[in-house]
Amino acid sequence: MILLAAITLPLIVGSWLLAAGRPLGRRPVLDIALLTALGSAALLGAAVATGDSFERIWVPRLGLSLALGVDGISLPLLVLTSAIGILVVLLARSHTPQGGAPAIYLGAVLVTIGGALATFAARDAILFFIAFELVLIPVWLLIHRFGDPHDEAARRDAGLRFILFTVSGSVLMLIGILALVAAAGTSRLDDLVTAGAALPLGTQTVVAALLVTGLAVKVPVFPLHTWLPAAHTSAPTGGSVILAAILLKMGTYGLVRLPLASVPDGFARIAPLLAVLAITGIIWGGLVCLVEMEAKRLIAYSSIAHMGFVTLALASGTEVGLQAALIGNIAHGVISALLFVVIGGLKERWGAVRFDQPLPALREHAPRLGFVLILGLAAALGLPGLAAFWGEIMAIYAAWVSPRGPGLLLRVCAAVAALGAVLAAAYTLRVARLLWVGEAPEPVDPPASAEDGAAVVTETSGSERLVLAALVLAIVAIGLMPHIVWSVTAEDVRVVLSR
Amino acid sequence: MRVEFDWYALVPVLAPAIGALLVLLLDALMPRARAVHLGAALVTLGAGAAAAGHSAWTRAEQYSLCLEAPDGACLYGTTPMSSVLQAAALVAAAVVVLMLIGDRWRRPGSGGGAVAGDELVGGPAVAAALVLAATTGATGVVGAQDLGTWLVTLELATLPMIALVALSASRRSVHGALTLLVTSVLSFALLALGVALWLVATGASTFASSGVRDAWASDDHRLVLVTAVLVLLAGVGFKLSLIPFHAWTPVTYASAAVPITLALATISKIAGLGALITVVRAFSSVTQDRGLSVVIVALCTVALVSMLVGAVIALRQVDPVRLLAWSAIGQAGWVVLPLAAVSAAGVEAAAGYLTAYVIATTVAFVVVHLVHGPVPAGAPERSRQLLHTGGLARHHGWLGGLLILALASLAGLPPGVVGLVAKIVALQPVVAAGWWPVAVIAVVGAVLGVAVYVRWIAIILGAGRSGQPLQRLVGSRTALVLAGTALVVTSVVPALVFR
Repeated sequence: MILLAAITLPLIVGSWLLAAGRPLGRRPVLDIALLTALGSAALLGAAVATGDSFERIWVPRLGLSLALGVDGISLPLLVLTSAIGILVVLLARSHTPQGGAPAIYLGAVLVTIGGALATFAARDAILFFIAFELVLIPVWLLIHRFGDPHDEAARRDAGLRFILFTVSGSVLMLIGILALVAAAGTSRLDDLVTAGAALPLGTQTVVAALLVTGLAVKVPVFPLHTWLPAAHTSAPTGGSVILAAILLKMGTYGLVRLPLASVPDGFARIAPLLAVLAITGIIWGGLVCLVEMEAKRLIAYSSIAHMGFVTLALASGTEVGLQAALIGNIAHGVISALLFVVIGGLKERWGAVRFDQPLPALREHAPRLGFVLILGLAAALGLPGLAAFWGEIMAIYAAWVSPRGPGLLLRVCAAVAALGAVLAAAYTLRVARLLWVGEAPEPVDPPASAEDGAAVVTETSGSERLVLAALVLAIVAIGLMPHIVWSVTAEDVRVVLSR
Repeated sequence: MRVEFDWYALVPVLAPAIGALLVLLLDALMPRARAVHLGAALVTLGAGAAAAGHSAWTRAEQYSLCLEAPDGACLYGTTPMSSVLQAAALVAAAVVVLMLIGDRWRRPGSGGGAVAGDELVGGPAVAAALVLAATTGATGVVGAQDLGTWLVTLELATLPMIALVALSASRRSVHGALTLLVTSVLSFALLALGVALWLVATGASTFASSGVRDAWASDDHRLVLVTAVLVLLAGVGFKLSLIPFHAWTPVTYASAAVPITLALATISKIAGLGALITVVRAFSSVTQDRGLSVVIVALCTVALVSMLVGAVIALRQVDPVRLLAWSAIGQAGWVVLPLAAVSAAGVEAAAGYLTAYVIATTVAFVVVHLVHGPVPAGAPERSRQLLHTGGLARHHGWLGGLLILALASLAGLPPGVVGLVAKIVALQPVVAAGWWPVAVIAVVGAVLGVAVYVRWIAIILGAGRSGQPLQRLVGSRTALVLAGTALVVTSVVPALVFR
């Protein structure tokens, strides 16, 4: 019951804000949203501490039950979602995006958080799908209404592209889930682990292909990624953070829960193809980042490269690989959240962050923000001691030692992925040079904002600083003590792979 | 010959029939007492709905008009699912009656503009009586088990509709009525032919599965029976507005008054599906072979083509009623899709999908009616536009919220959970039967559908000029409360529809 409350609290308060919050002022809405996010986090903590779970029949026709529970694989993601939720609400205190009433923005954020919590806590495959769909309209709303105020057409296009791509993916996934449920005779994830593995290889392969294709849109895996850069570019800062830190994780989590755990033999058959697509994404994303001129697009492409490492680790089918994918997920969540807060903050101050025009040197105008940017870039590069290091190095190792694949395919993948890590170094240094050092021969002042004409103070302040501090702390903590994640996941990783 | 009556089982059919007579009688005695007319109609509809709802709730199968042995067949029978359909038809009729009579509620001396029913020849009481008669046909055909009752009740559900469309007495509505009349005559001819072929093939005057089994055993009879089913499918296709039998739908929907369009979209659809279910159910005991696959291919083809073409054309509409008309064609495809599985699960899925559609589309039509008010008789073709709902969420929060919920439900996206569950339920039999190509084309249909409704949702959320005060349409507002409550409740507890 406590777990159910942790999920329904943001859903109910968010829906209420969306439906009836419009007349409320900015201040009370911010307080209500913060209290809700904190309350949900506290309830989640209580549910985890007491080992709470919930199960009740919901739609008997489908054999669908409201089954919620927490295990080692979902716990880190639940904590990430809850924490990012609080940070996004805090971020709105220093800057609420234009485009509508604050109640609508925060209502959409809260519903998204609730939907993501439900996705990670669902213990029923069909319930997982419904929760997966729950975030679509609120996130579309964030992009469509509260996105980049300078380019309305691009914003609408990005929102529509986001919703149509992800709906195509999720309906394909639904067909995979229904096929799996029809063949295995149960929709409970715990039972599917044994019932699904017992299916004939042909069925497993078809189901795995449908599930992987559907989920690959959300991750996103290389040829299906085209919605992500547009969505990131147009979304408000909070929306980008949610997209990168929460929504993409729903895709990788789905890959672990459904194809990898439920139809392991079928997944093994398509894993080599997935690995090849993953390294294509790593290289493609890296190359685009070398030439991309728009800062948020660049971070989006680097996200595609990082998710490539996670996908590669999953495709390796080893215990190390699964551990690498889980920690890579969390690491990418906090790092991309940090980068989007920094870059998004600059974009909101300057109107645009483009590398084809001289930019003010952050190290001079805003040394603290500059430091945070450098730390985020260093983490994205995969430096040891910071969060992303473990995920990437272990993903390459897992692919190298993987028993899978025709011939040496996965070893080749590992080598190419290592090359991708070098590309990551190149593009992060490019961003650091352009943005932190400042390329202009003369020091440039920050572009004046159109409204007041005065020079914009670029240094962080108030709740934005709090958010950045929390993210920096998380990046360093995971980098130095990866065991805080692994100790939670280890047991269930072994269970998933033990068959 | 003795016939056994179970009066209680017949209440859902008899109640609206008595209501129709009562309203006509009261209109003759007390032509000005609208409250009495409305009360009589609502009480009888409520009684019918309560009886049907009770049968559905207790999961009782009801039989009536049973003949003596050795024939022993019952001419009327309902399963829990058909009771749900009957209840939906009766509640939809109550909404229509509320809009027809209730909107004329005016405090004495308060004047006011044109109101639906003002331009109806014969006044609202006659229109309400016709709606009740059509409802009698719809609830009757859902339970009809013999060819004669089936044909007569199906036509009883159609003919009053033609009169209703014509009653608006404008040039456009007469055109719409004429289109509907021609279509109905053609449809009736096909149905009569199909029934005759069925009689020849099975030698029985009922839709009992024993007759079908006998006919299936002989090659000649099987051929006739398959022809009969195809002809019947074409005849019912007109009522369900499946492509290629859809041409009347946009014309008639757009030319009739909105309450009458709503009756066409709900009561007629339920009648059509009830008729088709009776035919398909008779095949449940037949083994798969070539003859049956012809039927299945025919069902799949009309379903998929309706789904895709309906959605594509709906994408281009500017009149909300025309958009809902084309989306009705697309949704009819989804209704018929699970029937192609020719299984008990498929039949229940189709009925469940239609019920969810009826609830959502009722809310959408009532909101459109409240926004535009009744369109006067001489209004130009394009007097209603989607843009008129622009900013509805901002100016009339609850109205906009309910319309968004209804459209999300039609699109199959949360928060319209009832529509999402309906899509899952509709896809399940198809996937369970292993028809991958059909399922994958249905994915395209689902994505197109999302594009249609999201386009409208974007307009509702955007800025716009829907700020003017709404007309005092008391009946429609009450109807919206009724339908909106049903939509919200079934979205939280979908098991009410999908038992």
